[in-house]
Amino acid sequence: MSQATENTGVSHEAWGSRIGLILAMAGNAVGLGNFLRFPRQAAVNGGGSFMITYFIALLLLGIPLMWIEWGVGRNGGRYRKGHIPGMFAAIWKHPAAKYLGVVGMIIPLTVMIYYTYIESWTLAFAYFSIVKDYWGNTTQEAMVTYLQTYQGITPGSSHITALGFFLVTLVVNIWILSRGISGGIEKLARIGMPILFLFATILAVVVLFLPPGPGGETPWQGLQFIYNPDFSRLDEPSVWLASAGQIFFTLSVGMGSLQAYASYLSKKDDIALNGIATAATNETAEVVLGGTIAIPAAVVFFGVTGAMAIAQSGSFNLGFATMPVVFQQLPMGNILGFMWFALLFFAGITSSVAMLTPVVAFFREEFGWKREPIAWTLGLITLLFGLMHIFWLQYGFLDEWDYWAGTFGLVLLAVIETVLFMWVFKPDRAWESIHQGADIQIPKVFKFVMTYVTPIYLLFILIWWAKDDAIPILTNAKSAGGGVLTDEMHPYITGARLLIVAFAIIFSVFIRIAWKRNKYDDRAGFVEIDQSGRTTV
Amino acid sequence: MTTGAIIFMALSWTFVLGLTGWAFYRLLTHKAHHDPDGIGPATPPEPPARGH
Repeated sequence: MSQATENTGVSHEAWGSRIGLILAMAGNAVGLGNFLRFPRQAAVNGGGSFMITYFIALLLLGIPLMWIEWGVGRNGGRYRKGHIPGMFAAIWKHPAAKYLGVVGMIIPLTVMIYYTYIESWTLAFAYFSIVKDYWGNTTQEAMVTYLQTYQGITPGSSHITALGFFLVTLVVNIWILSRGISGGIEKLARIGMPILFLFATILAVVVLFLPPGPGGETPWQGLQFIYNPDFSRLDEPSVWLASAGQIFFTLSVGMGSLQAYASYLSKKDDIALNGIATAATNETAEVVLGGTIAIPAAVVFFGVTGAMAIAQSGSFNLGFATMPVVFQQLPMGNILGFMWFALLFFAGITSSVAMLTPVVAFFREEFGWKREPIAWTLGLITLLFGLMHIFWLQYGFLDEWDYWAGTFGLVLLAVIETVLFMWVFKPDRAWESIHQGADIQIPKVFKFVMTYVTPIYLLFILIWWAKDDAIPILTNAKSAGGGVLTDEMHPYITGARLLIVAFAIIFSVFIRIAWKRNKYDDRAGFVEIDQSGRTTV
Repeated sequence: MTTGAIIFMALSWTFVLGLTGWAFYRLLTHKAHHDPDGIGPATPPEPPARGH
């Protein structure tokens, strides 16, 4: 058997503390979706019915995938592989494994590009709240126009302000990323996560104690709206798919970033308890806090019918138009508005810094390049492609990337990694790997769930989404953003797809060069490297 | 709120907060593998005996 080749000699990074690791992992998971997407999904998918399917998806899909991703990541870390191509090659000793990992490189990079742009809206609106810039736009329609003017969509509006906030957001992201795991990402999580939970708790309490609105509706009627037990919708596949999709988005599984974070752990570190703690923290932010702010506030000021219409019009309208209208009616509304958008900003940035981690790891580990230049180069790429999202937002450019990378791609990556870890690596080895250094014994039933139920559940979602969305979107029979598809949009949509294909080709070439450069033997596998940098063949 | 909605909300919150509370209780009280940098001992050092 030929000798596998040792990795390039870059120093290995590590987490500074366990609580820092948990906060960073939770920060990665807690994102804009917890506060904007979840309440909307719950409200439009039958309330109580959605919650039942949501918790089933959490138990059969979310938590098992969390353990699988921590397991895949830490196993990759044994060979100093913080990127998906290397992690897959460590599991499956086959030349194709590394190329399957291309999906895990495209997704974090493309999602990071448009996610940073959306994240910059939250920073801008936090500032606009403090200075009361949107004050006077007291109707939903006026605030939607305000948002679209900021985005440069309305006739005669400029992109300059949006571009400025995007640049600031991007520089902050890249600066944190360039500081490394413990010096940047962990410090951000230690500051950002407590602020996020503090602001969210204050806002949730303020909303729950709001007096009845103009129509006499109370916040409790908003909670009724979310938790209404409408069992008649349990037999609708769309409700099951919506809840499974929400679990995906909220836990940040299928992204490549959880695995990258887990790769910085040693064999002696726990991942079983850390994984469940991360999922639970995210669920607290989503179910307890996320469900208590936006929809109940909207019900108080717009009534049940108005809130339903807002929820159906989209998450961004709820967060960036409805909430500012609400804040303008409240005492110290500018402070509350700042808290709302600041918490969204912290939710966003703790996720976005995670997204480029596997890409940085790839170039650092395989080419020996320094972290800082890689981070700033990726920042430049993000800026370049981010400009396309800024200027072509109204042409469905962002929606197209969001669908293929941020929706369909997540399930695709999850299917591949689950099959590789549970079927190719084998259930017994996967189970043993997850339990190395574990502080808890995971109930044995989850071994069966992870081996059979999770992959079948994922395949079902992938096939259903392919039939219902992917094929109609690919053939331009349906728009990725759910709106009307016009002829004017076609060149931009085609361009967006071609760019994703180009990313796939470029990453494949880099992977091929890296494997040749480091003389890796796909059949022999990698050499195990301990935390001190010694090889342990 | 209707009784059904209250029950759903109570069950959801209890499950989520219970899971979070349990996970962090275990994290803070069981530190057998608290070795994030991977270079420390596999088990934590014994606490000093009384009187030391």
